[in-house]
Amino acid sequence: MNWGEQIVLGLLLGGVYVAVGLGFSLVWGVLNIVNLAYGAMVMVGGYLTWLLFVHGGIDPFVGLPIDVVVLFGIGYALQYVVINRVVRAPFLYTFLITFGLDLIIVNALLLVFKPDFRSVTTWYSGAAFAVGPVLVPYIRLWSLLAAWALAAVMWWILNRTRTGDAIQAVGADRDAAQLVGISLRRTYALTFGLGAACAGVAGALIATFQAITPTAGEPYTLQAFVVVILGGLGRVSATVVGGMMFGLVEVLAQSAPHLGAGYQNAIAFGVLVLVLLLRPQGLLGRTL
Amino acid sequence: MTIAVAACGGGATGGSGSTQTGSDIVIGEALAATGQDAKEGGLTKQGVQIWVDWVNNVQHGITVNGVKHKVQVLFEDDGSKPDQSATLDQKLLTEDKAQFLLGPYGSSATATAAVIAEKNQVPMVEGEGASAAIFNKGYQWTFGTISPASLYLKGVLDMADGLSPKPSKVAVLSADDSFSLDVTRAVEQYAPTKGFQIVFDQKYPNGTTNLSGLVSQAKSTNPDMVLNSGHLAEAVAINKAAKQLDLNAKLFAFTVGPSTPDFVSSLGNDANYVISPSQWTPAVKYKPQFFYSVQEYVAAYRRLFHAQDEPDYHVAGGTSAGLALERAIENAGSTDPDKVRTALTRLNVTTFFGTLAFNGQGQNDKKPMVVEQIQNGKHVTIYPLDVANAKIQYPAAPWSQR
Amino acid sequence: MAVETEPDEGHVAAVAVRTPAGARRERVLVVALTVALAALVVVPLLSTDQAQSAGLPEVVDRYAFRVATIVAMFVVISAAWNLIGGLAGYPAFGNVVYFGIGAYAVAVLVTRYHWSFAGGLVGAVIVPAAFAGLIGIPLLRLRGHYFAVASLGVAVAVGEVINNLDYFGGASGIFMPIVRSDLLFYYLMLGAALLAVAITWVVLRSRFGYGLIAIREDESAAAVMGVNTTLYKIAAYALSAALTGLAGGIYAQWNVFVNQDVAFNIDVSIDSILMALLGGIGTIWGPVLGAVVLEFLIQTFAGRGDLAVVTQIGLGLLLTVAVIFLPRGVVDFFGGRSSLGLTYVKRTLRESGV
Repeated sequence: MNWGEQIVLGLLLGGVYVAVGLGFSLVWGVLNIVNLAYGAMVMVGGYLTWLLFVHGGIDPFVGLPIDVVVLFGIGYALQYVVINRVVRAPFLYTFLITFGLDLIIVNALLLVFKPDFRSVTTWYSGAAFAVGPVLVPYIRLWSLLAAWALAAVMWWILNRTRTGDAIQAVGADRDAAQLVGISLRRTYALTFGLGAACAGVAGALIATFQAITPTAGEPYTLQAFVVVILGGLGRVSATVVGGMMFGLVEVLAQSAPHLGAGYQNAIAFGVLVLVLLLRPQGLLGRTL
Repeated sequence: MTIAVAACGGGATGGSGSTQTGSDIVIGEALAATGQDAKEGGLTKQGVQIWVDWVNNVQHGITVNGVKHKVQVLFEDDGSKPDQSATLDQKLLTEDKAQFLLGPYGSSATATAAVIAEKNQVPMVEGEGASAAIFNKGYQWTFGTISPASLYLKGVLDMADGLSPKPSKVAVLSADDSFSLDVTRAVEQYAPTKGFQIVFDQKYPNGTTNLSGLVSQAKSTNPDMVLNSGHLAEAVAINKAAKQLDLNAKLFAFTVGPSTPDFVSSLGNDANYVISPSQWTPAVKYKPQFFYSVQEYVAAYRRLFHAQDEPDYHVAGGTSAGLALERAIENAGSTDPDKVRTALTRLNVTTFFGTLAFNGQGQNDKKPMVVEQIQNGKHVTIYPLDVANAKIQYPAAPWSQR
Repeated sequence: MAVETEPDEGHVAAVAVRTPAGARRERVLVVALTVALAALVVVPLLSTDQAQSAGLPEVVDRYAFRVATIVAMFVVISAAWNLIGGLAGYPAFGNVVYFGIGAYAVAVLVTRYHWSFAGGLVGAVIVPAAFAGLIGIPLLRLRGHYFAVASLGVAVAVGEVINNLDYFGGASGIFMPIVRSDLLFYYLMLGAALLAVAITWVVLRSRFGYGLIAIREDESAAAVMGVNTTLYKIAAYALSAALTGLAGGIYAQWNVFVNQDVAFNIDVSIDSILMALLGGIGTIWGPVLGAVVLEFLIQTFAGRGDLAVVTQIGLGLLLTVAVIFLPRGVVDFFGGRSSLGLTYVKRTLRESGV
């Protein structure tokens, strides 16, 4: 049992979850929107990456900026045109509307791309370097680095720019922010757009280690939930911690003695529930 | 429950003066067109459509007592949800007056559909696999045309037994749905009898795609052969992880996935050497008693769907269900459900798919599995030797040398 | 950070303020409901063999039974959710776990211990309630989103554990003996649905109900005012679990086949919440109307043949548009508090949008 490798793999997987969690956390923390269509948006990112790769020969990592821009645009438009209409309604209504959006996006993908399985396999997909007995695949390492880079960019946007200030203000006190002259409509759209961009990055990374189909995004919505709650809502650092932890737990749970990988989800969720019971605000969340 | 019996009489078919045309035989099938199983559901549908095309356009109908009846298959989308399968099957029977049912895709869906078939006492024939659990409940109205799960990896093990050097250390990764587990249990029982040693045996939740941890664990046991009992998405994920983690087994076998063109297109060269058991490949040499020969079948598939590749066994499975039903109706000389059911129990006919016959529990144990391998991006059949059209490439080249 | 839910004064004050137009509308509603109820009970009897041989028309067929039974089932689940999610304000995303526990309770008791179905149903009510009571103690200390995800986590975890244990049939699940009567299950589910509605009605008029609403509006204030919040929350949660378990138990025998896919399907949770939302959270009839409307939509939009994907998109569009223009749920119109018109729509858009 190569524990070293297990831990490394867990951390590497954590990178993906960081990317998955970032977008979800931002939208949930600031806009109070639980985006049930999140997994579908991740898949849009995945398909975009695949398209660029197969038809344009563009490497998935090189294509990340394109993913970001396109998904940002889609997210912005969705929020501005559709979701903004119910943002003040009770929290669960956005639940309902994103459910409808999820149906639309998933089936639109199905219509366009058919249910065929696609994946992105680059020439370097098998390359790895060894650190002692542990084999670290390059592509996963770069996924981790890309995720952290994304986190850094998000942190910078949220904490060091005026846009970020506006977003945080709206998240803290919507009405006060409006009083100060911040355009709620645009800020909301910006936030959702950023969240979508994160989803796009997550999709690009995911396309490199598994198959993409229109419905393959569903589990990621659930996992985004968990990552965000595990780390704590609203802060980039919290989501990074939550994502890394969740990746670790998922991989290590597969080697659980006597239980084995069949209990993987039970263990992961068990850990989540346990964390919440001991620290209801998540690992790094602000005290309630 | 009234079953519409096809009326005799009516106008003569064009051209032929002696055969009459009766009313259509209506068959219902609730199949995944959206949702998780959309891909496999689509393949099944293609198979059924090939059959319908032949029955209606080449045969001009199923002959029942000298009267030809064309076939109408009504497809409903169950969204990959088992309870929807049941509801839609009921709808097909009650609202659309379907006289027979063809099975959905997926073990859970087939289980709930089988219940509907029993409740309504209508024959249901399915060609997409279902776990043993359905077939040992004593249900009388469900029939499966494909080989049972327990045979899936048996052929691979038999074949591996004859390889040199023998890949005696086996790692098993299994999804935890009932069908995959049936396959795995059979492996656990059979492998030791053939001198294989199972060094790793783990199951993962159905649909998981983060399997790197599991693959890493398997790697540390140094297996000669890696067997995966699962689904297409997992096969792709495991293959990728194996490459990334440099798990170099001499033989990789996946129960589901490699037979589809998606597997090769997703993985490119990484798909080479991969072995999979198959219900059917275009290399089999069955002499059909009716319907197309193997070559004609492939041609029909390509013509109907404008495809260049060959149909995989999901497609063929879909067709086989229709064929079994058709033959049973003809043998029974009636569309009465009881008579057709009895005819199904007595069925024994060879088709492009193999022998279609059902044991006491409704499963087809007269059709052996074949084993395929992907070589240079193409599917070839490597076992049993009398239908093989290529020699196995063994052992698989280490990842670093590909 | 906006994490609160909007106060729902309109529904709390349901009993208090009513316009004359509203009162008239309510009377009409009561009459309509009575007629509907009578029809629901009597019409299906027309399809029995006795009625058929007497020459009476068969107004409903087996398929209609199935759909009606499903609708009734969702009424139960949605109304049950309403108790903890709508009244108490604790949005449980994982209530399907009680559906599953109820289903397995019946399956195990009947197939393994040879209890009668009726006995199994008792188990289907008690076991989930007990489980909810136990797990509610730690779980209900969480609030809002955290509670939602934790409850979801419990659902996933329990489903997976059951899938792994041979005692529950493992992945192959459990097959119950087949009972052919669709009529029986229709009436059972209908009865359960009526029970659920009745319980909601009683709760809304009781101290318990007011306590729950107080908890929803402002839990700390409620505690200060002397409401035993922990007890009330757990009671609501257990009650909700009991009802959901009942639905699961009936379903197990009806469907004959029980496994993780079938019994612990997260879609059930999501659908039931959507129904409560569509119909009107926190109201008596909300879940009923929501269940009828959404299930009707789902069945209508279930695509035939090649259209399946397109109709799904259609359903998604419809839902999205519906939410934008009907954010308070269908009950709002029929409760007499507002009339459907351009003004209402404009007002809702203004109040809900940005």
